[in-house]
Amino acid sequence: MWLVLCPSNDEAALWAYEGLKARQIAPLELVSAEELACSLRWEHRVSADGASVAITLADRRTINSGAVRGIVNRLSYIPQEHLAMASPADREYAAQELMAFYMSWLYAMPQPVLNRPTAQGLSGAWRHISEWVWLAGKAGLPTLPYRQSGFDEIDEGHLRGGFVSAETPVNTVIVIDGHVVGESPPPDIAASCKRLAGLAGAGLLGIQLVAGPESSWTFAGATPLPDLRLGGEALLDVMAAALQGGGR
Amino acid sequence: MILLCGIPTETPIAMVREELDGLGVPYAVFNQRHFSATELEFAISGNRVTGRITIDTQDYRLEDICGVYTRLMDDQVLPELKDEPAGSPRRRYCRALHDALMRWCEIMPGRVVNRTGPMGSNSSKPYQAQLIREQGFAIPETLVTNDPDLVLQFRAKHKRIIYKSISGVRSIVQTLEDEDRERLAQIRWCPTQFQEFVEGTNVRVHTVGTEVFATAITTEAADYRYAHRAGKEVELKAFDLPGELANKCVRLARALELPFAGIDLKITPDNRVYCFEVNPSPAFSYYESNTGQPIARAVARYLAGETQY
Repeated sequence: MWLVLCPSNDEAALWAYEGLKARQIAPLELVSAEELACSLRWEHRVSADGASVAITLADRRTINSGAVRGIVNRLSYIPQEHLAMASPADREYAAQELMAFYMSWLYAMPQPVLNRPTAQGLSGAWRHISEWVWLAGKAGLPTLPYRQSGFDEIDEGHLRGGFVSAETPVNTVIVIDGHVVGESPPPDIAASCKRLAGLAGAGLLGIQLVAGPESSWTFAGATPLPDLRLGGEALLDVMAAALQGGGR
Repeated sequence: MILLCGIPTETPIAMVREELDGLGVPYAVFNQRHFSATELEFAISGNRVTGRITIDTQDYRLEDICGVYTRLMDDQVLPELKDEPAGSPRRRYCRALHDALMRWCEIMPGRVVNRTGPMGSNSSKPYQAQLIREQGFAIPETLVTNDPDLVLQFRAKHKRIIYKSISGVRSIVQTLEDEDRERLAQIRWCPTQFQEFVEGTNVRVHTVGTEVFATAITTEAADYRYAHRAGKEVELKAFDLPGELANKCVRLARALELPFAGIDLKITPDNRVYCFEVNPSPAFSYYESNTGQPIARAVARYLAGETQY
């Protein structure tokens, strides 16, 4: 069994699900974040012998980690509507508990998982733009100078990994399983994008670049949750191959 | 130059500061409570990180800072902000200053005890347990479930089991008693973590770079940190950790990218070693004040680059 885990309104994930089905990835189950949140039964074990997960969804579908062969993981938050009746303090506690629980059971799933959870995010590490700029520089990507001080207003956009204004046209490159898809950057930029995904420990990473004159592309941001549709059919081909080639 | 960040009177900060004095290593202290007298800015250009921090009119180049020790409390609950309305300029400045400091710490090229990113593994105990297991440690058998029947089966298998939070919030270990059966149905709302109780001696291992300090804790309480609350006694003694186990602890801390770690072990009567968790911000002063182990000095020496990592 293969899984696509995503919020129910994640159109990019739904597109990937259809594309993977068309590539004969079967059985392939689409499980929404909302369905997971309302699961009837959870059983997650961790011991010296390894870790396992068994989930029974409300529609009686079951997910057993022993039967899972690969996952497209687009979970970034946990719906909490079912906690609405709890007191604010208990609701906050339960939210922390659920986030910690998801981090663990997702990590316990057999590889390949695009992306594996980390302590910085359920579907890969969410980094502040300052850290992305620093990593991009280490990877050899041209970067714009970055400045931050205590007198700045905290820009929530920076938490989402973006560096340029929404109006600035950007090219999106997606690195998936060591392949570069999406826009076609110059070869040296493509190589640096692969290095950045490696430094970030991300099997799947969207990288935004601003194209300048004479093939100069400058780093503009990165995210573990890119719009997969920007990678086109090539992304689906690589994703299908990656999902079938795993094994931790 | 070393930078200490937090409340200077907090015991671990005060102890490291005293050791830096003794070593003659220059340092600066960012006192969170004096945030309004502090400025910080940094810049990234290519691979180079530059900037300055101004503390009470004294300027320091960030490039000159080779080590940072952070014991920051949540800046939003500082006493100085108690009467500040939400969103006030003073509150916003305090938050932005701490944000800039934290961002710089994540990328500064020197030694940071500890960086925020790697500390996150402790926010999910069973997740961290999987990382611990990957480093070759035995871990207690753990069940996270919302099914009361599974809990009862787990208890029947292990006889004595404990429950504790999955995250780091409200993390107090308690034994599941017979009278708890009645409220087990409540776990249907939120999966809960249960764990086999392991008999043995609690050993807290502090690793500082490659230096190792082990402390044995003797108590009858399920969670020695809260033994006094349960009316139980606690005794702490320096413990001689076998060389290979000490090396294993250093490797574990390194794998978790934690130059300074508090590793909780339990050694069973038949000498099996279980690792329960790794604390990324250990309040070592409790152990040092009871045993005299020179942990603060090790932290100071590590920050000054005098010891390896």
